[in-house]
Amino acid sequence: MATATPKASEPGTAFEPLSVAFAQNPYPAYAALRDLGEPQFFPDFGMWLVARFDDVASIARDNSMVRSPEFFMSHEEIEAEKRAQNWHDMPHHSRFVQFSMLDSDGEVHDRLRKQVFREFTPVFIARQRGMIQSFVDKLVDGLIDKGEIDFVEDLAAQVPGHIIGRVLGVPDEDCPQLRVWSENVVKFFDINRTDERKAIAEKATTEFYHYLQKLMTQRRAAPQEDLITRLIAAQDAGHLNEDELVSTCMLILMAGHGSTIDVLGSGMHALLRFPDQMERLRQDPGLIHTAIQEMFRFESPLPFFHRYSTTDCVVGGKAFPRGTKFGLLYGAANRDPAAFGDDAGSFDVGRNPNRHLAFGGGAHFCLGNHLARLDMEVIFTTLIKRLKSISLAEVEPQYKPGLSVRGPKALRLTLTPA
Amino acid sequence: MYRVTFVDADGQATELTANEGQSVMSVAVANGIDQILAECGGSCACGTCHCYVDESWTEKLPAADDSEQGMIECLMNPTDRSRLTCQLKMSAALDGLVVHLPREQY
Ligand code: HEM
Ligand code: FES
Repeated sequence: MATATPKASEPGTAFEPLSVAFAQNPYPAYAALRDLGEPQFFPDFGMWLVARFDDVASIARDNSMVRSPEFFMSHEEIEAEKRAQNWHDMPHHSRFVQFSMLDSDGEVHDRLRKQVFREFTPVFIARQRGMIQSFVDKLVDGLIDKGEIDFVEDLAAQVPGHIIGRVLGVPDEDCPQLRVWSENVVKFFDINRTDERKAIAEKATTEFYHYLQKLMTQRRAAPQEDLITRLIAAQDAGHLNEDELVSTCMLILMAGHGSTIDVLGSGMHALLRFPDQMERLRQDPGLIHTAIQEMFRFESPLPFFHRYSTTDCVVGGKAFPRGTKFGLLYGAANRDPAAFGDDAGSFDVGRNPNRHLAFGGGAHFCLGNHLARLDMEVIFTTLIKRLKSISLAEVEPQYKPGLSVRGPKALRLTLTPA
Repeated sequence: MYRVTFVDADGQATELTANEGQSVMSVAVANGIDQILAECGGSCACGTCHCYVDESWTEKLPAADDSEQGMIECLMNPTDRSRLTCQLKMSAALDGLVVHLPREQY
């Protein structure tokens, strides 16, 4: 079987997703995968990596490609696979994290998605603008005279978890704890699944579950204008059960927290790496929507998801049997010159159309994309308005390792107030 | 080959050709009609391929199914002529269809 080690004609193109070189710049390795055309087998995850835009898009949008292996594996086989990936013996994690809207298909998926879809539409999300703006204004008030900040920790990391918490109905003072739980669970998704990380993930899931139980009891007694209250009503109407409700709340928090922090960081970094684009946005703040769309394309924060084929299929000219597991490299597809032209590797705040795959595609298309965009719009617009200049205070920001996430660990900035 | 016309928010019309079974969304995307974002790629999961069917056509189209109807109710400025272009498939019955585009999808 072929392996995913494209002949490295230039350094940095071997497919080593845990390496520092890959963390700092995965794009040469992605380009090498695209150039090979056919999907490449990646033994660490037992899946075929797909890198070209057209192939990734058609798999993501194909209803015969699914997230859950239930349709072709027995219960025993699934358990064995979980064991092989150190994904077993985690009672709460398997109940609330391993099961979710994202990891279900067909009718179950449609039913779960329907319960929350309306809350995340542009019309509903726009109602959060005032709340987000005043939260961001307060944060910026506290930072603006500091001279130097870590943009990731001091600003980006403070916002998305807090806002999602507020949408769910979590009181302000508990939002920082949500962030810790979500990070501890998410860390265990990547390829290095140690027992230590596993224990931390299970503990976080358990504590989060107990917290949600308490919150649900309170909302039953005293309903509020929030997502938890509306989900409880949906549960009472028989649309979903309690485990599904808990799982949905956890998914919403986890899917939207780290990813938004990461793209805030990489988006800011992109504006600093391409000062002409920063200047263009300053001159024409109306470009903020295309600029944000470009940030998602340019440094897709969740670059890697999987699908199983439920039928025999052909991908990139190669035939695969039913039950094949594919790894969709959204981050590679979004830099494909075949889809975005010869300047696919440059950052263009006015790029339009910009039909990228950073939010996936098909039935699982990101539920929270409008919330993520609004957080970003408020933050970038506020900073550009209130700061005369923003510059990088370090030479080469370090990016997080791994295949599943992309974003800087920290981003030291020098701020000059307007 | 069938014909379908897109009229943008400024009244500018573009007539394009379509194959049997092709969705109105994919005709738009393939021909640079940028107001159709179609972010989910046609799975009735994003609501960014919204159009208003021309008055002369509303009666002639097959009704929206439950999932399309559910999505339309979540859109910005829906009307009784709102449809998702990814769910409209071209056929002889739709030859000559005219759809109007919102200025923005969100
Ligand atoms: C930077 C921000 C974000 C990015 C890049 C992102 C990306 C994605 C992607 C790629 C998927 C599809 C996964 C697949 O193809 O298998 C997805 C699904 C999802 N996202 Fe996001 N997301 C972001 C923010 C958010 C936010 C803020 C929320 C919630 C508040 C959220 C909630 C979800 C949910 C619930 C799903 C599963 C939907 C389903 O299975 O139907 N995301 N996201
Ligand atoms: S393309 Fe997403 S709903 Fe039509």
